[in-house]
Amino acid sequence: MVKVVKSPKDGLIRSAAGHLRAITEVAKVVVSPGTITVHYPRERRKYPENFRGMIMFDMDECISCFRCAHICPANAIQMYPDAEGRYFPGIDYAKCIFCHFCVDSCPTAALKQSKIHDVAYRDVDSMNVSPEQMNTIPEIVREDSVTVEYDFEKDIQLVRKKEFENLLVEVEKPERPEFKAVPQYGENCIGCRLCMFSCPVNAIKSKLEETKVILETDYERCTGCGICVRICPTEVLILTPIEREGDHQ
Amino acid sequence: MTIPKGWVSIEVKELEDLPCLRFAEKPDRRSSWRLLKEKVVDAGICSHCGTCTICPVDLIILEDRPLDFDPKKGCMGCGVCVAVCPRYNYVPLNGPGEYTEALAGRSKRFAGQDGAMVSEFMAAALEMRLIDVALFVARDEFFRPFVVHVRSADELLDRKVTGTKYSFASVMPELHRIIKRGDRIGFVGTPCMISGLRKVQNKIPLYKKNVPLAVALFCTENFYWHQLYEFLKERGADLREAEKTDITKGNFIVTFRDGSEFSIPVKEMEEIVPEGCHVCQDFSGVEADVSIGSVGSDPGFSTVLIRTPVAKKILDFMLKKDYIETGKAKMKIVQKLCDYKIKIHPYPPKGESEESS
Repeated sequence: MVKVVKSPKDGLIRSAAGHLRAITEVAKVVVSPGTITVHYPRERRKYPENFRGMIMFDMDECISCFRCAHICPANAIQMYPDAEGRYFPGIDYAKCIFCHFCVDSCPTAALKQSKIHDVAYRDVDSMNVSPEQMNTIPEIVREDSVTVEYDFEKDIQLVRKKEFENLLVEVEKPERPEFKAVPQYGENCIGCRLCMFSCPVNAIKSKLEETKVILETDYERCTGCGICVRICPTEVLILTPIEREGDHQ
Repeated sequence: MTIPKGWVSIEVKELEDLPCLRFAEKPDRRSSWRLLKEKVVDAGICSHCGTCTICPVDLIILEDRPLDFDPKKGCMGCGVCVAVCPRYNYVPLNGPGEYTEALAGRSKRFAGQDGAMVSEFMAAALEMRLIDVALFVARDEFFRPFVVHVRSADELLDRKVTGTKYSFASVMPELHRIIKRGDRIGFVGTPCMISGLRKVQNKIPLYKKNVPLAVALFCTENFYWHQLYEFLKERGADLREAEKTDITKGNFIVTFRDGSEFSIPVKEMEEIVPEGCHVCQDFSGVEADVSIGSVGSDPGFSTVLIRTPVAKKILDFMLKKDYIETGKAKMKIVQKLCDYKIKIHPYPPKGESEESS
C-alpha cells in the first residue's frame, strides 16, 4: 500500500497567512520571553553540588585503607607509597569513568567530588595524576568567569542569574565512629603475622615466647583501615567501633 | 567495653624440631614447610587430604598429583601446616570406632551410589537449618571431580553431584577459602580428611564453630584422577562414557551409559594406589559425626554408623519425616573390612621396618 501525499498548492493567501502567524509568534516572545538559548562554552551553567567531576584528595584525612583502589571498576586508581611507606591513591584520568565509586566508598571523605569537568592534558602520561597533584585544583582559563543559572521568578518568568562559583565542594565529614582492629577471637590466631606485615602504619608488633607468638596492637597508631582484618586467615581481628572518649588508653 | 590489647597464637611444639624461623624477628623465607616436606611428603605418608592448604600465603599446591610447594610465595614460618597435618607424628586409627547406632538405610528421595544416604543426611541437615551450605564433590564429563556448594536439597537431585568418584578432590582448600564467610558448613570427606578437619578444629575454634557436621565415607584407597583415567583407558574402559563407578567384592566396576559393564580386580590396581594410602588403617572414619558406606548392607542400601548426638538428631528428623527406609546392618562385614585394611596397610610399612632392624 502506497499512500501518495500531495503537496499543498502555493497560494498568495496561504503564504500571507503563514507569515502573519510567524510574526505574531515572534512579537509574543519579544513581549514575554518563554525560552532561553544558552551559549556554550561562553556561558557556563552552574553545576549541582554532587556533580561527578574531577576528584580531589586530602592526604591528611586518608587512612590508606585501599578501598578506593579495590572498588574502582575501571582499575584507574593506583596506590603510591610515600617516604614513610604509607600508600595513597592516584587516579589515571585516561581510564577513569567518573562513576565516583571511590568517593562513595571512602570512609573518611578524603576523596571529594568537585565541579571541574573540562580539563585538557598535553599527553597521556600526564593524565596519570599522583596523590600530591590531586590536592591542587588544575589551572583553569575561562572566557567567562561567572556562571549562569536560570531561575523562575513570579512562577512563570525565567530569570538569568550570574554569579561566581566555587569549584570545590565543601563536604561534611561523615558521622562515623572511630574503628579499630581489635583481636576479638585471639584463640584462633595461628601466628602467621600477616597482619603485622600488612599494617600500613606499623601498629602491630610481634614478640616470640618459646613456641608461641605474642602480638600486640598499638591503638594510638591504628587508623582502622581494615587491611589486617581482610588478610587474617582465621578471623582473629574484627573492626570494632570505639567511642570517642575511648577507654582503651 | 574492655578492649584486648594483645593476643597469643596457638602453640606449635613441632617447630622445636627445626631451628625455627618463627623465632626470628624478620621471617626467613625458607622454613616450616620444609618440616612438612621432609617428615610427611618425602617420607611417603602424605594422604593428600589437603588440610595444610590452610597456609596463609598459599604456598602449598594441592592438585591432581603429590603435594607440591611453591617456596617463592615466601613462608611466614608460622608452622600451621605442620600443626594441622594429620600425618605428622602419625598414629594410625583403626577399627569401626565408637558408635551409638548402626543401621542400613535407603533414601526415598535421591538416587546415589547405593542408598544415597550421604545426600539424604546433608539434605536433612540443610532442611533442619543445622548447616547453611554443604560441600559436595561433583564430576564433569571426564569424571574429573570438582567441589560444589549445595545450599538446598533440590540441588542434590543432580546425578553428577551424588555418587562416588574414587579420586582426590580439593574440598579442604575450598573449606579454608569460605570459612570466614560465617556460613555453617557441612563437610563430606574420606577418613583422612576428617582426621585433618578434627585436628584443625582442635587448634582453631573458628572451625569448630563453623563446621558442625562432618560425614565420613568408608574408604580403602583413593586414586589420582589422571592415573585412574589413564589406567582404565589402557584397559579399554573410557570414563567419558561412564555413568557410575563402584567397588564391590574386590572388583572395580564401571557402568556405562549403554548399560554394559567393565570390571577389574582392585588388586590389579595396586600400581596406581598413592603412597599415602598404603599406611592408612582408618576404614570407617572413626572421628566423624557419622560414617556412611555400602559395606555391610544389602544392595541398594547404605550402612550408617551414628557416632555423635548431632548425627542422631538428624537421623531422628529423617525417620520422623519418613525420608528413609531402614534395614539391618551387618557389622561383622564392616569389622572384617576394618581388619582387612589393617592387614594390607601396616604402619610402619613392612619394607622400612626390616631395613631399620
